[in-house]
Amino acid sequence: MTLAEATVGKRVKVVGRTRPRCGDPECIAGLGIHIGEEVVVLRAAPFRGPLLIEVPSSGVRVAMGRGMARAVVVEPVDAAA
Amino acid sequence: MPRRRTRPSLPSRSLPDPASEPLIVLVGQPNCGKSTLFNALAGFKANTGNFPGTSVAYTESRVAIGGLHARIVDLPGTYSLTPRDGAEEVTRRFLEEGRPDAVIAVVDASVLSRSLEMTLELLETGLPLVVALNMMDEARRKGIEVDVAALQARLGVPVVPTVATRGEGVVAVAAKALAASSRKRPGIPPVYDRDVEEALEQLQAAIPEGALQGLDLPRRFVAARLLDNDAFLQRRLEGPGNTTFLQRAADLRQQLAEMHHWPEESVFGSHRHAVAVDLFEAVATVRSRQRRSKRERLDNVLMHPFWGLVFAAAALAGLFLVAFLVGNLVAGWVQAPFDALAQALLPDPGRNVWTHLGKGLLDGVAGGLGIVLPYLLPLLLILSLMEDVGYLPRAAFLVDGLLHRVGLHGKSVIPLILGYGCNVPGILGTRILESPRDRVITALLVPLTACSARTVVILALVAATMGPLAALGVYLLNILVTAAASRVLSAIVPGSAPGLLMDIPPYRVPPIRAVAKKVWFRVSEFLVSAWPVLIAASLVLGLLEHLGVADAINGALRPVTEDLLGLPGALGVTLFFGILRKELTLVMMFQALGTTDVASVLTPAQLLTFTLFVTFYIPCVSTLAAQVHEVGWRWTVVGVILNTGIALAVAMAARLAMAL
Repeated sequence: MTLAEATVGKRVKVVGRTRPRCGDPECIAGLGIHIGEEVVVLRAAPFRGPLLIEVPSSGVRVAMGRGMARAVVVEPVDAAA
Repeated sequence: MPRRRTRPSLPSRSLPDPASEPLIVLVGQPNCGKSTLFNALAGFKANTGNFPGTSVAYTESRVAIGGLHARIVDLPGTYSLTPRDGAEEVTRRFLEEGRPDAVIAVVDASVLSRSLEMTLELLETGLPLVVALNMMDEARRKGIEVDVAALQARLGVPVVPTVATRGEGVVAVAAKALAASSRKRPGIPPVYDRDVEEALEQLQAAIPEGALQGLDLPRRFVAARLLDNDAFLQRRLEGPGNTTFLQRAADLRQQLAEMHHWPEESVFGSHRHAVAVDLFEAVATVRSRQRRSKRERLDNVLMHPFWGLVFAAAALAGLFLVAFLVGNLVAGWVQAPFDALAQALLPDPGRNVWTHLGKGLLDGVAGGLGIVLPYLLPLLLILSLMEDVGYLPRAAFLVDGLLHRVGLHGKSVIPLILGYGCNVPGILGTRILESPRDRVITALLVPLTACSARTVVILALVAATMGPLAALGVYLLNILVTAAASRVLSAIVPGSAPGLLMDIPPYRVPPIRAVAKKVWFRVSEFLVSAWPVLIAASLVLGLLEHLGVADAINGALRPVTEDLLGLPGALGVTLFFGILRKELTLVMMFQALGTTDVASVLTPAQLLTFTLFVTFYIPCVSTLAAQVHEVGWRWTVVGVILNTGIALAVAMAARLAMAL
């Protein structure tokens, strides 16, 4: 699944990226979201706006448009792990 | 022989031969407190801000540290050395072409692992480096303890803990940077995985003879940048002699990607990330992370899909209400004595050239003090606070979805909001947008926002005569028209909009000094550049009136003023000179009509028509200059046509509506 489909409040792990139609996927890494990193979608903006994403390991928070979020491939993280 | 003069003290502006002084640059990620650090060093000279991209162009200052002088340059914030937008490219170019003698890497200790990645990139440049470990107070609050000595040992460069907002460690950093600039000793560049190191070595060996001529860059840096898929360096190296070399870089990059099952464009970056994480884990300990409830609670309201928008609307409305109330009050105090003075000195204007000029002078002086400043000051103060507290990126987050419907994205709201203070910083602020398309659209939209000079007109003409609700209506109309124009422009301007990606910084209580400095910086800009123009233009207008030229201008503009808009022909001059500076509009209007009590000579319909026309028509000269600089002549002409067309259409519509 992609980050755009992740449940708000659930931790997910970034496992890959597809090149989004617009924009450079490299900049996601520049703002601190890397493959292998766990992230949480904290909230979604109204009118199908961007997602607020936190990287718990560093405390970084980023607003990411849905188009870009659809290019970030994630998998759920087991609560036990 | 260097020139030598004996000059005992510090006045940093009049020092001899700046070229011989060491050049120190500040580099850091957005919101790391870089501009605050710069301001602490430089005094009343620059801006600080708490949203990505405040320092869009670089700012320079000369400082004295321990009896030695240096030039310090504040470069735009950038997340990595690979530039993503115009502002970030300024930083990269300056590092490679500006020949700095030392670099201060400003690092936000509260997001240390991310910040360290760029420090590693900076180490690879081989430039003498000093790390300012900033926001140590915030890091401590988050439970992050940093072993400064260990970090210093791993990086091989001095590391100084700082809290720039309180001035802690600031002088120490500058002193270390000054020392580093004369020692010229680079730090320890990062060491990567064996595969990566092998690729780096092979690529370094493949650099053709003379390929780096004129580029003062270490070979390892060049190899690392190319493996990192750095389009900026690739463009610089492109040429017949380097084709095979660049191909080799691409091959090695692909090999690495296959070896590590990683996307090609990020395989190197992910290795650097791994090094940064290792480094972070080696030098920092994190105690607890559960102490950010205040931010959480604030965000629960301010970023709430519904309440957040309500708050944003209320905040904007409050902004103008406060500006209106404070401005009205102060304007009244200032205006009365000037009116009395004019009455006493020049009881009967219109006799000879001196009474005309005297009236012009008084109007110009009073216009600046009594009309513009009282409204400008509260507006700038509140906008600066919103900026420094960190509210603007949150507003951008909330309205992104809405702005998409008119072809923009959320980040554009930041230049647009700044435009309400003054259009010029708004247009310069468009550099934070990544795509040229968004930059053009936003730079053409900013002049439609009612800047403080036009706010003065709206408040003085519409609010004062028809009530604050009517003024609010003008603002709503202003926003709707801007949205409609955005829709049209996004259909015309070619290119695609990239998705939104924006840092949301924590809330910060801005130090009063920093806010005061920023407001002072912008007010002094008005006092120094706009006020004299206002006075001069007011004098010119007095003279024109005396010579009767005003009638010629009025005559020429009569088709617009009288026929289309139904206004007195005498306002032609007002509109004409309004292009010079919008602040002039009101002063000129009083001049042209011969009274400050405009309601006695104009009907409400005329007042509204005039105000709407002024709100939308050709922006002032400084705004046009900024537009030409940012998006070029062609788009500026389009903008002028757009502005005039909209102004005519809206004003005529208002005239019709009021007639019904």
